[in-house]
Amino acid sequence: MENQSCVLIQTEWDIVAARQLGRNVAKEVGFGTVDQARITTAISELARNIYIYAGEGQVCIEKIIKNGQAGLRIVAVDKGPGIPDIRLAMEDGYSTSGGLGAGLPGVKRLMDDFEIDSSLGSGTEIKASKWIR
Amino acid sequence: MRIPILKLYNCLLVSIQWELDDQTALQFQEDLLHKIHETNASGVVIDLTSIDFIDSFIAKVLGDVISMSKLMGAKVMITGIQPAVAITLIELGISLNDVYTALDLEKGLEKLQQELGE
Amino acid sequence: MNKTIDNYIQTQREEILKKWIEKMKGKSDERVLKVVSDQVFISTSREFMDLIISNLKDSNEKYNERLHEFAEKIVKLAWPLSFVTEGIHVFSRIVFEGMKADNIITEENHLDAFYSLDHWIIPMTTEIVNIYSTTWERTVSLQKIALQELSAPLIPVFDGVSVMPLIGAIDTERAKQIMENLLNGVVKNRSEVVLIDITGVPVVDTMVAHHIIQAADAVRLVGAKCMLVGIRPEIAQTIVNLGINLNQFTTKNTLKKGMEAALEIMKKKIITVEETE
Repeated sequence: MENQSCVLIQTEWDIVAARQLGRNVAKEVGFGTVDQARITTAISELARNIYIYAGEGQVCIEKIIKNGQAGLRIVAVDKGPGIPDIRLAMEDGYSTSGGLGAGLPGVKRLMDDFEIDSSLGSGTEIKASKWIR
Repeated sequence: MRIPILKLYNCLLVSIQWELDDQTALQFQEDLLHKIHETNASGVVIDLTSIDFIDSFIAKVLGDVISMSKLMGAKVMITGIQPAVAITLIELGISLNDVYTALDLEKGLEKLQQELGE
Repeated sequence: MNKTIDNYIQTQREEILKKWIEKMKGKSDERVLKVVSDQVFISTSREFMDLIISNLKDSNEKYNERLHEFAEKIVKLAWPLSFVTEGIHVFSRIVFEGMKADNIITEENHLDAFYSLDHWIIPMTTEIVNIYSTTWERTVSLQKIALQELSAPLIPVFDGVSVMPLIGAIDTERAKQIMENLLNGVVKNRSEVVLIDITGVPVVDTMVAHHIIQAADAVRLVGAKCMLVGIRPEIAQTIVNLGINLNQFTTKNTLKKGMEAALEIMKKKIITVEETE
């Protein structure tokens, strides 16, 4: 798909590459500075989750249009261990890595739509979108 | 790339000018603590005017460096946080409590001197 | 078949119209009767009749144009959509039953007649519904823009002191807008103290309080101080009853008191100048 570009996440540097890409696409789509910061931060969180928990994965940024409204979707996929309890992972303050625990619920708050699909042993897929207001 | 740390009277001055990656952030944490030890500074101003986003990792490093500096007897003032950055931090659920903040470097130095003078 | 229907409608025109108006009056509720005067009702119905005949007689292009005009007209008349679609169905039923009574429609051809009728009723309904919904969509988006323009401005009052008066209900969308305005304003005006005045906010529930706390927190991060003013007794009650903790920032009951506190923070004072003659 021409409206989609992806970054492989294998090292810490790829996190930087992913958010750089996200910021550029967000600018192209026409988001304001606050939304650009929201999107960049969300990508950073998702890419870092992949790096820390799965070791390797992919973050894709897509330009989307629905009902004449332009937007951006982040798709973060990994084939890592999966999340044992999604509900727990979506609770504020929950973290297994000793971080701030702002990760997933934080991303959900930063974006407009949030979808998570994870199964133990086969990996996690997270889709999060933001629409131009 | 290392972030330069300048000394100004009894304070240390740090201006972060480009996007922080994880390594740089951790390196900065180390460098700052060493510099505080070396110079015996009683205050630190970290200016974030050029930073256009902060994720939970960098926020944690920043929060940690503030607590660590405090333990070493240096007060930390954060200046120039952009509106977009403040909004994303709050929405992420990071409120950086117990942090001194000021609108810009100038006001930050002023406030810090007041705090130290008391 | 089309031709037969066409003929029937043209010859029985007045008869159908009479029946139709009668039936529709029975259907219309008070809401319709209030906005529609008898005269307008009859003339519009007549126009509708002409339109249907035009459908059967004129070229497609001309008919579409007339249909469009007619639909826009009834939207302007503010007839409820349900009433208009009902009208079209009632009309086709009258024609169908009338033709059956006159033995024009028989056992053999009734399916054919039914399809023919359907064939011009459906596009007509679709067009009218379309025009209604585009009109509504336009209204909604205009109102949204108007609401955004209403969203709180930040007013600089003294050097370093600004006020943001909030008026009206606050939803999530508006709260985000307010927060952006607030922070950008604080940085632009280099305000050290911001007073958020909630005198004009009718209800402060957990959600609104949460948004206000978030805004105040964000203001602290950019390096300014936030004060909440205009807290009425009932709002103080709800805040405490809901268990919302506002201890972390200064609150005052009026903007005036808030302003005094702000000036104190800025180490400023308002004094009366003594007149010298």
